[in-house]
Amino acid sequence: MKSENSLLTDVLIIGAGPSGLSTAISLADKVNKNGEKKRIVVLDKGQEVGSHILSGTLVKEQALKELLSKEEFENLPIETDVISDHTVRLTPEGFSTLPFHPPYMDNTGNKIISLSKVCKYLADVAIQKGVEIYAGFAVSNLIYENGKVVGAKCIDTGVNKKGEKQKNFQGGSKVFAKLIILAEGSRGSLAKKVKNKFALRAKSNPQSYSIGIKEIWTAKEGNIKEGEVYHTFGYPLEGEEFGGGFIYGLGDNRVELGFAIGLDYKDPTLDPHALMQIWKQHPFVKNILEGGTLTQYGAKTIPEGGWNSISKLYIDNLLIVGDSAGFVAMPALKGVHFSVTSGMCAARCAYEAFKADDFGEATLSNYKKLIDNSRIKKELYPVRNFRAVMSEGLFVGGFKFGIQLITNGFCLLTPHMKRDSLYTQKLSNFKNKPFKERFAGKLEFDKKLTFDKDSSVFYSGTHHDEEQPTHLVVKNIEEFSRININEYGMPCQYFCPAAVYEEHIDKESNHSLKIHAENCVHCKTCDIKTPNDAITWNTPYGGDGPQYQNM
Amino acid sequence: MTTIISLMKQVPLPSQMRMGEDGLMDRTKAKSIINIDCSFALEAGLQLKSILGEAKLIVCSMGPPSFEQSLKKAISMGYDEAYLLSDRKLGGSDTFATGLAISTMIKHLGFGKGLNEDFIIVAGRQTSDGDTAHVPSQVAANLGIPQATFIEDVQFQDNHVIARRIIEGGYQILKLPKPCTLSLTPTGIPPRRPSLVGAVKANQAKINVLSVADINLSDEKIGLSGSPTIVAKVINIKSERAPVIFSKGHDSETLVENLIKDMKTGKNTLERVEKKVSKAKVAPEDYKKVDFRDGASGILTWAELANGKITRPSLELLTPAKNLATSLEEGTKVRTLLIGHNVKDLANELIYHGSDEVIIVDDERLEEYRILPFSSIFAEVIQKYNPEIALFAATTAGRELAPRTAVLTQSGVTADCTGLEIGEHIDRKNKKVFYPILESRRPTYGESKLATILGFHCPQISTARAGTFEVPKRDESLKGKITTFKPKFKDDDFITEIVKTVRGDGGLANLFEADVIVSGGRGTINDEMQLVKDLAQALKDQGINAEYASSRPMVDIGISEYARQVGQTGKTVRPKVYVAIGISGAIQHLAGMKESETIVAINTHPQESIFANSDFGIIGDYNDIVPELIRQVKEGFTFGIQKGN
Repeated sequence: MKSENSLLTDVLIIGAGPSGLSTAISLADKVNKNGEKKRIVVLDKGQEVGSHILSGTLVKEQALKELLSKEEFENLPIETDVISDHTVRLTPEGFSTLPFHPPYMDNTGNKIISLSKVCKYLADVAIQKGVEIYAGFAVSNLIYENGKVVGAKCIDTGVNKKGEKQKNFQGGSKVFAKLIILAEGSRGSLAKKVKNKFALRAKSNPQSYSIGIKEIWTAKEGNIKEGEVYHTFGYPLEGEEFGGGFIYGLGDNRVELGFAIGLDYKDPTLDPHALMQIWKQHPFVKNILEGGTLTQYGAKTIPEGGWNSISKLYIDNLLIVGDSAGFVAMPALKGVHFSVTSGMCAARCAYEAFKADDFGEATLSNYKKLIDNSRIKKELYPVRNFRAVMSEGLFVGGFKFGIQLITNGFCLLTPHMKRDSLYTQKLSNFKNKPFKERFAGKLEFDKKLTFDKDSSVFYSGTHHDEEQPTHLVVKNIEEFSRININEYGMPCQYFCPAAVYEEHIDKESNHSLKIHAENCVHCKTCDIKTPNDAITWNTPYGGDGPQYQNM
Repeated sequence: MTTIISLMKQVPLPSQMRMGEDGLMDRTKAKSIINIDCSFALEAGLQLKSILGEAKLIVCSMGPPSFEQSLKKAISMGYDEAYLLSDRKLGGSDTFATGLAISTMIKHLGFGKGLNEDFIIVAGRQTSDGDTAHVPSQVAANLGIPQATFIEDVQFQDNHVIARRIIEGGYQILKLPKPCTLSLTPTGIPPRRPSLVGAVKANQAKINVLSVADINLSDEKIGLSGSPTIVAKVINIKSERAPVIFSKGHDSETLVENLIKDMKTGKNTLERVEKKVSKAKVAPEDYKKVDFRDGASGILTWAELANGKITRPSLELLTPAKNLATSLEEGTKVRTLLIGHNVKDLANELIYHGSDEVIIVDDERLEEYRILPFSSIFAEVIQKYNPEIALFAATTAGRELAPRTAVLTQSGVTADCTGLEIGEHIDRKNKKVFYPILESRRPTYGESKLATILGFHCPQISTARAGTFEVPKRDESLKGKITTFKPKFKDDDFITEIVKTVRGDGGLANLFEADVIVSGGRGTINDEMQLVKDLAQALKDQGINAEYASSRPMVDIGISEYARQVGQTGKTVRPKVYVAIGISGAIQHLAGMKESETIVAINTHPQESIFANSDFGIIGDYNDIVPELIRQVKEGFTFGIQKGN
């Protein structure tokens, strides 16, 4: 089993995002401090560390301060300090700035960072401490021995669309490790498999997600100040769905902005990318962007189910950290500090496991205790029902959340959460105005302020080797046609922010699905929101996917 | 055991290339990758190893220390050792000096001392930041070993390399002995992804860094002082398009008729608000005038043959050759070297197109072009006639023959020129004026810049891009001299065997050469692009070099082949006329065709972005407009393109 194309390590961390890198740094510190030697290998599927990192990040620095030494912390690449923070309510025509901050949303004292830049920095810090980081390597599956995870296998490359080996075939290397940390980010494909295989969700709610679309612009001089922060709610959503926008002024006239919407929406034809474009046409946003140029585009999902959606996070030889675990505080729109904290908890748990030389579930259950005693529970538990009530819409939800704040999260009727895909209604059941009618006249994109999906995707820099089996797997084509196309009108063509899914109509008016996998920006919305859970997102070749810079 | 030496260059991502004030490349800011062609060469090396069963794989590069990351990548793909020639003194080296430095490094590693060594060099065809395709030929020439360039497939049989070489309109199978140099096109087996185990090995590997002193190369042979050519000037090429002219009318007949009229009248032109070029610099009186030609005189061109005929690009060459001769002293001769078998009759053709003297080399072994004897013949002829300028068409043959010849005559070469003029060079530092000198202009950095290159050694050698210059008018009253030349061959000149030459209709290779490309997009799905193909065929029937292509959706659906895909993930083409039918104009597609000379778009939606990037447009339905266009083509409308020969 252990062949030439395999390697051995003490710890394998899958994903070089904030949680994976924090795990690596924290563990390396403990090991080095005691003069020990442990091999720590971190893999990332992005071409470089940071290529697949996207976040609209106003970071709470405390967690990073705990992770890093004073000197390391002082050298963190910070974009700018938040100088003003406004919550703005948008109506179709106008806007008003709230005179107060909604609870948990005050960002005074926080910093604006580029998470991909910070991850690059953290990777350098980790390498200095002896951690090995390899970017451009995608793990396709975990290796099991006697029912226990013992390693992971990288994806085979040099395989054509039909799955046949080509002359440039390269078998994926196997990595055997005493302990494996899944730090894949939102909706990790391995974490999903592990959670299903070991029924880790038995005692928790399903995870619920938002999709966030983000753009970076170079704005006209003077349109926004460095450090100016706006969060918007209201238009183009009207209380029906949960979501809103953000606009952060960076230095050199750069501005980052994004729009997020909860994936528990009902309209099968809702298009989050179009929503972002519609939002940009609102005078409040338009005034900032007009005359500027789009430089980058991207999208990702955000796990926001909160405390009640966190599954069991440990099994024999394996821990789950960060967004893969679901550590995001929704009312505050923050998760990076939790990622760091969860990485530190995992590192502590790992270090103790090494001392005991035991990586069994019982030893690793220590991870849960550490999480329960950390800021993660402290911050997440009181708002545990926030997202659930918000699926009832912003107004009703907002009222119920108000009650929770007074009662430390108590909710009279504990809301029941279901998987996001189950909220989508069939075309025949959806009685409200469909998306296209609701926003008629706003869906022509001028390629200056607003962009169609194909053009937007260009700005993500995404690229996939055309010669590979599609990484987006449809469970059953016939069933897809019957349920997704006929009954739901193929929602994936609308919710996908990267024009991956096309409804193809042939001469005989037959409708079928065409997949443009090469456009994928790895947001994984299709894995979450497709009715009948018909699409599975697997990882494509390592190094493929978006090329985010400073997202 | 065979050693495979892969030459590799790291290049900035094409989208991030910029140039320093001095006209030299500033590589410090852009993200870097292994040059695409070189990555195919790396794979070819790995493939050769798997055919041979056993081989040592070495990767060599020359450049700043940052190149180490790409050398490590080569190791992660399966290479055993990596060497980097890195020295500040190498800065500013042109291709001649680069070829010399790399071959000296290879010699330093213990190769290239004789013809019986067991090694094969694989290199990329050309680099994306230089586009010259010179270095592989120059390395081979410096080492004195056989070469084959523009190779897309490599096999190994009977202790010989079997290489499939792309030529205009077809291919050639060559059989080469070891040692030899191969340059690979990016059309063969795509580079493999590194394995993680390979990456771990690369992470621990040591890159052997060599300095100029380490390889015993003297300083004056490298860098600016060792380079026979310099970049004298670089200007930006603007590629914005003037507003489209929409055809007027309400029915397909009128629309097409008006398109024909509009195309005759000419496209809109952008009003350039460019600064006037500052007045020609005048050298101060006291500067010393230098005529470095030292007795060299005349212009030598090569008459390339294909299927027993002189190729069109070789006739085109006579236009700049004659113009240059006119700009020089009276009596400056244009001589053309005609190499082949039983080619006497063709000599007059060259004279009718303006050559003053045709030098014939006739030998039955020279019926097909082969690099080794041809380059030795050129070196001998150059020695005898001492021309000041030598011109080759920038064909697959010209682009290897020129640099190989240049090494033999110690000259610089400028690749793929679109402008050739006589000018002067003012050297302020040394207070000298060089006159007359050949100014070779070539587009570079992804066609975004126009560089002027000067050479200070005779002959000044340039290759000219096919299709840039007009074929001179044929005039049977022109007189010229026909001379026969008997070269001294070496046996080794015929060491490479041509197994087969196939020059057919050429098919897909034609996409790069076609004068007219008819391209179909999503709007042509109904009949699976049939009308698009019919239009291309109708043009071909009219004697036009036309080909059809498509945008990506058509390839995805399986209506068109990948080889015909134009765009960011497909091919980049620049035909004289690009006819975009039913194509919306996604940025990805525009990236592959926006450099076309004239763009005609047909689409039902006036707001599609293709129109913002076109010269002429018809708003109308594919199924109505295209049949009408085909009818007009059959009656002689050829989008303003003259029939080829």
